[in-house]
Amino acid sequence: MSATVKTLVNQPYKYGFVTDIEADTIERGLNEDIIRIISAKKNEPEFMLQFRLKAYGQWLKMKEPSWAHVTYPPIDYQDIIYYCAPKQKKEQLNSLEEVDPTLLATFEKLGIPLSEQKRLGNVAVDAIFDSVSIATTFKEKLAEDGVIFCSISEALQEHPELVQKYLGTVVPVGDNYFAALNSAVFSDGSFVFIPQGVKCPMELSTYFRINNGETGQFERTLIIAEEGAEVSYLEGCTAPMYDSNQLHAAVVELVALDNAQIKYSTVQNWYAGDHLGKGGIYNFVTKRGLCKGINSKISWTQVETGSAITWKYPSCVLVGDNSVGEFYSIALTNNMQQADTGTKMIHIGKNTRSRIISKGISAGKSQNSYRGLVKIGPKAVGAKNYSQCDSMLIGDNAAANTFPYIQVDNQTGKVEHEASTSKIGEDRLFYLAQRGISEEDAVSMLVSGFCKDVLNELPMEFAAEADKLLSLKLEGTVG
Amino acid sequence: MNKLVAQDSYLTHLLQQCEQKPLVTDGFMADLLPSLRKRAAYQVLESCIPTKKDEEWRFTDLSPLVKVNFQLAGKGNITPNLEPLIIPEASHSRLVFVNGIYSHDLSDVSAIGSGIYVGNLTNLPPEHQGRIKQYLGNLEGTDTFTALNTAGFRDVAIIWASSNTVVQKPIHLLYLSVGEENPGFSQPRTLVVAEPNSSVQLIEEYGEAENSPLPYFTNGVTEIWVQENARVNHTRIQRESQEGFHIGKSAIVQGGDSHYTCTEVNLGGKLSRHNLEVHQQGEQTETYLNGLTVVRGEQVGDTHSSVFLTKPHGTINQLHKCIVDDSARTVFNGKILVPQAAQMTNAMQLNRNLILSSKGRVDTKPELQITADDVKCSHGATVSQLEEDEVFYLRSRSLNEREARLLLVDAFAGEILGRIPVAFLGSMFHAEAQRRGEDYDLYC
Repeated sequence: MSATVKTLVNQPYKYGFVTDIEADTIERGLNEDIIRIISAKKNEPEFMLQFRLKAYGQWLKMKEPSWAHVTYPPIDYQDIIYYCAPKQKKEQLNSLEEVDPTLLATFEKLGIPLSEQKRLGNVAVDAIFDSVSIATTFKEKLAEDGVIFCSISEALQEHPELVQKYLGTVVPVGDNYFAALNSAVFSDGSFVFIPQGVKCPMELSTYFRINNGETGQFERTLIIAEEGAEVSYLEGCTAPMYDSNQLHAAVVELVALDNAQIKYSTVQNWYAGDHLGKGGIYNFVTKRGLCKGINSKISWTQVETGSAITWKYPSCVLVGDNSVGEFYSIALTNNMQQADTGTKMIHIGKNTRSRIISKGISAGKSQNSYRGLVKIGPKAVGAKNYSQCDSMLIGDNAAANTFPYIQVDNQTGKVEHEASTSKIGEDRLFYLAQRGISEEDAVSMLVSGFCKDVLNELPMEFAAEADKLLSLKLEGTVG
Repeated sequence: MNKLVAQDSYLTHLLQQCEQKPLVTDGFMADLLPSLRKRAAYQVLESCIPTKKDEEWRFTDLSPLVKVNFQLAGKGNITPNLEPLIIPEASHSRLVFVNGIYSHDLSDVSAIGSGIYVGNLTNLPPEHQGRIKQYLGNLEGTDTFTALNTAGFRDVAIIWASSNTVVQKPIHLLYLSVGEENPGFSQPRTLVVAEPNSSVQLIEEYGEAENSPLPYFTNGVTEIWVQENARVNHTRIQRESQEGFHIGKSAIVQGGDSHYTCTEVNLGGKLSRHNLEVHQQGEQTETYLNGLTVVRGEQVGDTHSSVFLTKPHGTINQLHKCIVDDSARTVFNGKILVPQAAQMTNAMQLNRNLILSSKGRVDTKPELQITADDVKCSHGATVSQLEEDEVFYLRSRSLNEREARLLLVDAFAGEILGRIPVAFLGSMFHAEAQRRGEDYDLYC
């Protein structure tokens, strides 16, 4: 690695600042009382408390999974603060003007202006700060079409019947260790409901921010698309730089009924720790979509660039006949980052189709694993899957692994899987250099070309941003 | 023998039987065997029968094995008829083991020339005895079943090719199970040492002598040391009965510039598992792994291969194919580990599966773990039924539906069968495949 390149690698993390704000936190640790406190603070209906307690009971019986290709010191679950909300002047906020200006300024600094004049033109944003939602924009405009877009705490107050009907149906409380933990202590998240036949008129988006150094963030997102509805949803995340690690264990559930389409995109840029691997977020997330109705479609697109450790498998359960699951992923790891990510495509209905495109880029001393499952059940007649996972290695200390699991229980199933691993082509770099393009630009061009299949799937504004993010993260890794 | 608390009563039961009937050669190599067996016995006592919760056994359920009360097999009730099992190319270079015990009468090594030892452990010439310690049971990180074999093998088949020896004739190692009153349990063991610049061709075959309705369990281990610039061509045939349980391990250590080819054909066994483990320990090492598993009925055929590289310029080329009929299942797990030191590795792995029936099931997991950047590695896996376009093409050439489908299945298997270096075996399997084809459920 050349010297110029080295200085460029150590690009500061742009979003690493801490907002100094008075916060309402509860005591450390986890027990039944804590769960009751969280539930009471949010003034939740009784069924939610039971849901949480049931999850906690299951969590106590479970063991932390160890199969992922990542290593980290044991997490002390009693040393985490499970609820932390910035103190607001008023209990009930009626408009944005009442939100603490420090918070608005924080989001503005992150590039997410919330105020009426400055907000993004055609994107509704739900901004979540530590354990609570700060504000949701364009709520009224969306309501005109019958679309409900709000924080999940608000949904529990205003639409408890919808939450009760769908919460935990895709990811059951005892699904896995981190999902059970989330179900017990989740604090906030987004709730989206698109009624029958409605195409959501704008992009929906949630921005997650962890601010407190000792809190874990446990958000819960639930998106429901009724018959014939369509929605595109995007989440983004950042966190300040701390020397300690914070836990982020989220659960996302998607439900698509007949002919519905959900597109879920993630640009994940949590703090990744420094070049020695100190600090950073543990991103242990369960995301699952249920294609419940016929001809439904769920598409996951993810750009994973942050987090010290990523442990995440956005999945599709294809129950409805002719339903389609898609997974497009770019996972970029640098320095000491570890990522074990991929997808699960469970084919249950007839003629279900799925497509997996995964691009892994590992630089520095990072570990990047693709782990995927394609399962074709006995009744999934005519199911088809195509998977492609390509890995690119930059530097000779990086590792790329692939663990694809393929289970076919049906002779009419057709599964194709391809994977390749290679380094960034020297002849290509040479060719570009010969055309007068600097090494830096050449690398980012090649990476952007490598990722094009996935970037094309992102909503347009975000694709450009994600592309920029990739080149920024990689600056100077080749020399 | 020790204060350890045994973890698993089933394993302990098997182990105790081995200890009651000590190794034929006990006391013969007192500096090596007792300590080797004791160490392995410790490992067995500390482990449990793997369950589906163990990643390595996730898709293969061993509970049918555990249900049977196996007794350590003796020499068997009958003398097996070898006639149909003789391979003409290797008719005078053959070692036969019955239930893991060397059979002098059935073996024939009259065609073996100088420079190579082909025989059992008891007759091992003194010049090799001193050196066997560095090879036998010397692989680290062994699994439970390998340890069980080490703790209880009754004899060892040894092929030791001295430096610069090129052996023309293939050597046939035949491990037969012969039924007794109880379900039998045997533990064949093989050691192959190919010294620098030597070349050996090996046929390792597992089968049953008569069609006994009783279940039996074969737990075999083969260790092959391919030293600098040596070549070993290994054909492994598993034709256990439909009631047999087969767990086999092949561990290969390759030195620099060496060449190892394995062609395995798995046809039998109610439950069979082959653990193939290759350690490339020198530069410019070449490894070719070919495999074919054909299962039907309720059979489960499992192949787990792992290739560990340590030095630059290694080559691996693996093709594993499975044909699944009736309610049978196949499992494939192929692992290739490329650490940072193994730059310029060229690795290819492909697993192709053909399902012929509506109840067949395939689990496959190709796995690449790469920490070197200047490498070319790819893997692929496919699962499908016969291509309708291809069937249509053949039908347009006036083959009937069944003929067309059989021809395609035949061609699918032929890609591996054609790689068997012994002509007789290739044609025999081909004929057998055609016989089997008559029962295929092809949805005609």
